[in-house]
Amino acid sequence: MAITRRQFIKRTGAVAAGTLLGPSLFSNPLLRKALADTIGDRYFIVVYLDGGNDGLNTVTPATNGGGTLRDAYDAARLTGGGGLNLSPGDLASTHIGTDPNTGAQIALHPGLIGLKNLWDLGKLAVVQGCGYPDYSLSHDQSRSIWQTANPLGLTGGWVGRYLAANYGGSEIPAVNIADSVVGEFKTAATSIITLDRLEDFGFPYDEFDGGSDDGFKRTAFLALCNAASGNAQSVVKYIGDSGNATLLGSESYPGLHSLYENDRGTIWDPQYDAVGRSLANDLREVAKVIYGVTQGVPNVNARFFQVRNGGYDTHSDQGAAQTDGQHYGLHRELGDSLNVFYQDCADMGVANKVCIVVWSEFSRRIQQNDSGTDHGSQAPVFVIGGAVRGGPSGGSHGGVYGNHPNIDDTALDDEGNTVYKQGADPFRSTDLRDVYGTILKHWLGMTDPGDVLTADGGDPDFYWTSPNFDLGFL
Amino acid sequence: MGDANTVLDAASARHLLRRTGFGAAPKNLQRILDGGLTRGQAADQLIAFKGKNFTPKGKYIDNAHDRWVKFMIKAKYPLQEKLVLFWHDHFATSNVKVQNVRTMGLQIRLMHIMCKGSFKDFVKAMNRDAAMIEFLDTVRNHKDIPNENYARELQELFTLGVHDFAGNPNYKQEDIVQIARALTGWDYEYNTGISRFHDYDHDYNADFLADRGPKVIYQSTGGFGAGGRAFDVNGEGAQEIDTVIDIIFDHTDTNGKNTVARRTARRLLEYFAHPINDPISPADVAVVDQVVAESGFDANWNIGGLLRAIFVNDAFYETAAPEPFTGSTKKSVKWPIDYVVTTLRLLGVNLASKFPYVDGGDYQRIRDQLTSMGQTLLEPPSVFGWDWESSWISSATLLARYNFATDIVSARNGSKSTAFHPERFIQLTLTDPDDILAAVTDALGITDQLTAAERNALVDYLTDGGANPTLDLNDYDTRNRKLHGLFALVLQSPAYQLH
Repeated sequence: MAITRRQFIKRTGAVAAGTLLGPSLFSNPLLRKALADTIGDRYFIVVYLDGGNDGLNTVTPATNGGGTLRDAYDAARLTGGGGLNLSPGDLASTHIGTDPNTGAQIALHPGLIGLKNLWDLGKLAVVQGCGYPDYSLSHDQSRSIWQTANPLGLTGGWVGRYLAANYGGSEIPAVNIADSVVGEFKTAATSIITLDRLEDFGFPYDEFDGGSDDGFKRTAFLALCNAASGNAQSVVKYIGDSGNATLLGSESYPGLHSLYENDRGTIWDPQYDAVGRSLANDLREVAKVIYGVTQGVPNVNARFFQVRNGGYDTHSDQGAAQTDGQHYGLHRELGDSLNVFYQDCADMGVANKVCIVVWSEFSRRIQQNDSGTDHGSQAPVFVIGGAVRGGPSGGSHGGVYGNHPNIDDTALDDEGNTVYKQGADPFRSTDLRDVYGTILKHWLGMTDPGDVLTADGGDPDFYWTSPNFDLGFL
Repeated sequence: MGDANTVLDAASARHLLRRTGFGAAPKNLQRILDGGLTRGQAADQLIAFKGKNFTPKGKYIDNAHDRWVKFMIKAKYPLQEKLVLFWHDHFATSNVKVQNVRTMGLQIRLMHIMCKGSFKDFVKAMNRDAAMIEFLDTVRNHKDIPNENYARELQELFTLGVHDFAGNPNYKQEDIVQIARALTGWDYEYNTGISRFHDYDHDYNADFLADRGPKVIYQSTGGFGAGGRAFDVNGEGAQEIDTVIDIIFDHTDTNGKNTVARRTARRLLEYFAHPINDPISPADVAVVDQVVAESGFDANWNIGGLLRAIFVNDAFYETAAPEPFTGSTKKSVKWPIDYVVTTLRLLGVNLASKFPYVDGGDYQRIRDQLTSMGQTLLEPPSVFGWDWESSWISSATLLARYNFATDIVSARNGSKSTAFHPERFIQLTLTDPDDILAAVTDALGITDQLTAAERNALVDYLTDGGANPTLDLNDYDTRNRKLHGLFALVLQSPAYQLH
């Protein structure tokens, strides 16, 4: 969203309503009370990689271990011009843990230097092979399924359902660095601020005269809201109360920019600027809000955030390990941005209070095309934070959770993609709802994530019939 | 208290115009007052519209959406659009699932055609509507693989409701199963939206067989007695889905009243008159029964007749006057589409460009603005439609409305038709802040809706808190600052969010 005219500098922000998809599950106050869980003094940040990130060249088998993953990888990912093969040498400096199923050495893409750093610090967990039954190759549909966490039908976003159960209409628990509320945050029952840059966010005054009349407008607006707040009719009162809260929120957030710049800008701006990519800039806006919360800025209580990064739909010219390649650039942006953001949070003293989850709507085809890859199925998810059981000593395989998908040619489906498996299969996939459920239970304080995540019916070998909300990474 | 012969005063006339259209434009108000129209006369004139069979079309659903919004802004008969919006919510169908702009458009066209005619014919037509067949899975409902989705919603949402006014169930699960069987055998042609019944008696593909066995419904509800009603005249085939509707429309509740008539009247009262609590109060039951009896809706099913009975009823005018608001005054929140279209119509501001936006602010597409306000037409959030009233309001949706208001008044530099020209509504020779405020609230049709405290706040604004007791609107800066500012404040005021 570009600022097009000087006089509109203060109104590029918008608070957008999520739309409730599906029955109003949480309109029942009893249910709402039963679900009253809390994130406490923690923060939760969702990072969405838009376009379908190639998971196989993100979390890659460097060896066979006790299986044949590396052989299968080499058979599909070619070397030479246009080839996407990451050689064992390319991966030598980014080894992480081992695949729980085959014991293969797992490595990050060499561009993910920043994430490797977080791994070494013990702050990165990798959940391999995340997906859902009957996967879709449509960007829209698959994104929507990840966001609703409901492959079966239309409902609100999985974070949104949690927010709706725990926050009221005039509260603002979440900020999306976006034009409108993103899918996983959608809800009708609470307010989510969407903004591009904090300094541009604010109450929309008509800035004809450079703002000299704003004070009178503000006074009049508050008087109108207060008149309504005193009304005997509940709906009139509600509009007055909400208008009041909206004005105060829109006044509290822009100041977070200068607060951060004054207190932290000298040290941290150069680090974000050194990354110099949009994801870093967006995460810096999140850092500004978090800093505001830690400093007790009135009316600033956001603890849920979302940012996205685009460009992952690498059908051609994807590039392997070349530092001028497309995928390499994306990975540098992702890893470096997250690394700076995490360090910034650590410096604020909230390292153990932040949890970042990174996802994409699907992975990409094992068999590459000319110089890129087509849409695939199960994908890795990153979980980052001071309290995450990650890095070399995270778990029994380091911070690697879940099995690498079975990329052997003979195991692929008709589309040439890896198959979603449950049950006792050695290559059992990790259902995305188990990932979300683990976060809901172990980070967002939800007693029973089953309240917002519904299990499938169907064949237990191919559907999510036995939830596991204790994957171990939190 | 009044009746169809009561002559409308200004507050009542504005109320009628706001509820049955998009805002109370001064010229429409004047026409009613000059004619000395009664409630009945005004209602008859409004309902007599010969509307257009508008079809929202486009390559993508957002093109169709924008065309529909533009049509509403220009519509000669806004009551038709208000009715279509009601039915779009009632028979909520979303393109998110349907994924077919053409059939979605045809459904909206059907609603334009049927919106004030026979409700029974309307439901029968919706049974066969391609977008509905897709949305509620009739197309996936086969003899050997039944899908109960449509059969359930047909009863729960479109006709009977789950419970009657006394709180007793109107149907049982077995009725859903039986009706689903009657709806087997249907699909539609993707490109034309033509629905088809497949009488595949000799077809080898048994999956698509219509279920021709005997069926009985309402053996324990509906007032049909223990035998219920059978609709399986064997071989009836394609007619079965009409027979089902005939039976549903004969259903009586545990008070012995026609169930569909009562529920439909209640829904229309909630939409046009005021919110009704659940469980419904005896006073509201009396109003429902009165408008059904007066119109004969439970026999003739004429929606227009039912609307007339509502538009002459005291219950409709209960919220016309603003003062004093009491705890029982049931004000109603404008839908986002109503807020947007009303404002554009009253202020004579057209949208600019093929991807239409208000020609001020940062040119956000109108569809995105409406989405931020919580309403994306052609994509209702679920089969339940949108949540009304206070569900429209949050910090989030309000700021979207405030943004829109500011966009409008800052549209100074567009073309003649897309710019905002306040001088069209107010004589610039006015200097008294009370007169200026009255002119602005008249233009926006809410003069009767402001409380004294709200008026004071706005006058204080005009006078900079009393420092400048008169204004010179001929002065460019004063006009652009204070008059534009006043319009924005009224559009952002709590009172203007209601209607």
